[in-house]
Amino acid sequence: MKYELVAGFETHVELSTNTKIFCSCTTQFGGEPNTHCCPICIGLPGTLPKLNKRVVEYAIRAGLATNCEIAEISKMDRKNYCYPDLPKAYQISQYDMPLCNHGYIELSNGRKIRILRIHIEEDAGKLVHSRGSTMVDYNRGGVPLIEIVSEPDIRSVDEAREYVEKLQLIMRYIGVSDCKMQEGSMRCDVNISVRPVGSEKLGTRTEIKNMNSINFIAKAMEYEFNRQVDLIESGEKVIQETLRYDDVTNTTSGMRGKEDANDYRYFRDPDLVTINVPRERVEEIKASLPELPSQKLDRYVEELGLPEKDAALLVKYRKVAEYFEKAIEGTKTPKTAANFIIGQIFRAVENESEKENFDIKVKAESLNELIKLIDSGKVKMNLAKSTLDKMLETGKNVSELISESDMAGLDENTFNDLCRQAVEVNPKAVADYKNGKEKAIKSIVGFVMKNSRGKADAVAAEEKIKEIILNS
Amino acid sequence: MVEKEEIMKIAILSKLFVADDEIEKLTEDMSRIISFADTINNAADEGTDFDNINNLSNVLREDEVVPSYDREKILKNAKDSDEGCFLVKNIMK
Repeated sequence: MKYELVAGFETHVELSTNTKIFCSCTTQFGGEPNTHCCPICIGLPGTLPKLNKRVVEYAIRAGLATNCEIAEISKMDRKNYCYPDLPKAYQISQYDMPLCNHGYIELSNGRKIRILRIHIEEDAGKLVHSRGSTMVDYNRGGVPLIEIVSEPDIRSVDEAREYVEKLQLIMRYIGVSDCKMQEGSMRCDVNISVRPVGSEKLGTRTEIKNMNSINFIAKAMEYEFNRQVDLIESGEKVIQETLRYDDVTNTTSGMRGKEDANDYRYFRDPDLVTINVPRERVEEIKASLPELPSQKLDRYVEELGLPEKDAALLVKYRKVAEYFEKAIEGTKTPKTAANFIIGQIFRAVENESEKENFDIKVKAESLNELIKLIDSGKVKMNLAKSTLDKMLETGKNVSELISESDMAGLDENTFNDLCRQAVEVNPKAVADYKNGKEKAIKSIVGFVMKNSRGKADAVAAEEKIKEIILNS
Repeated sequence: MVEKEEIMKIAILSKLFVADDEIEKLTEDMSRIISFADTINNAADEGTDFDNINNLSNVLREDEVVPSYDREKILKNAKDSDEGCFLVKNIMK
């Protein structure tokens, strides 16, 4: 029998506000243990939490960017459970009246992954287990989170990957989070079940908690899918439980502890008042949203005429897209800039996080200058390419690397001489070409380009060389 | 009615030291507090939204950092601490 994967995601995203959700301590990552704390975020009795305005704003942005409805009336609730990472023995979260409802994210295959809700809540502290005791650092306690809950609409590991990547990209574009999975500012819980293909009924699900890498998510989902199929095939049952994924052994195993007790005794937090979001405010926030990645992609393809594959590579990093847009300002050929960025520039940028920051030696203005010189015909493509390499190496401007004489190109006599010389010193290529091997001409052209230090026009050189051979 | 044993149990859970001669009085006080809370059952509550009794909304803070407390103060009431962290019994089984 063939089985189908059914998965839903709960994604925690740390909001990049300056201060915590209910107090004015900094949210800065790291720091000596318990130095970003006050009586409110260590849960001392008699303290009064006060909601950070920006948390509400950011959550609304996230909701609007994922096509959610924004609730006019919303409130905070206490989720009770006893664990040392939670100093009050409850987490302030939202239960039955979340800020955002009923959104979706559209995948490239056209399927929509529905979002059930997005709510705001506080993060817990960090536990370090050592030498028979547990050490608690509350710096992270009270850092604002949004939890994005999807419907079980995901049908494959590839869809899961794309869903998480899209979510990450959208949050970065709208500036509400840096979504660094390795630093824990984005973490996913995945609910997985399997069912025979064609069946409508959902199978028993398991939940894999707290994954902080897209690759781990993919591997864990594959493992869990196979495990569940094996169980069913051998006549056993899937038990509903919470699992932990071990990236070393690439297996999932049952978790014990706080997740077993599922009675959270939710009730409204009496210290926090109702959140009321006027409709005008929603409209204002909607109007302030930047162009979203999917909109940008469409524009690059439709208006700038870029191939979709190239457009997707540029849109994938917010700063790269910004760079690209600066580089093409007032130029005629967006494709040239796209090629430079995806080709030479990406090759000079080592890894994903460097692409993320995209703080490279060649400023966008400088690339813009180079492209304008190409547009105007002053600099030929070959020279442009070698210049860009030098710019990447040295960080120098175009004008420092290309002199007026370089730009002047070759005078006709020198050019003709070079072409004749190229034919003379490449008898084999000439013979090959004459015997119908079209490509042989390229090495003769190469000679011209090399000896003119890229100043010659390759197309013109090819024509000239053909003419010389024909007449010889 | 509240029993003495319950007061002792609560004291232990709250990590509070209660002297022997205080138990009697605390037991009486606690009984009174609980019976006072019972009076709420007699209150007319029709049409009252206990969830939002102050009828307030949007009490919000600007997102501006205020320096945190000295760690010494934060850890002052901790039962035990080490390397700047609160220390609790090992919770991993």
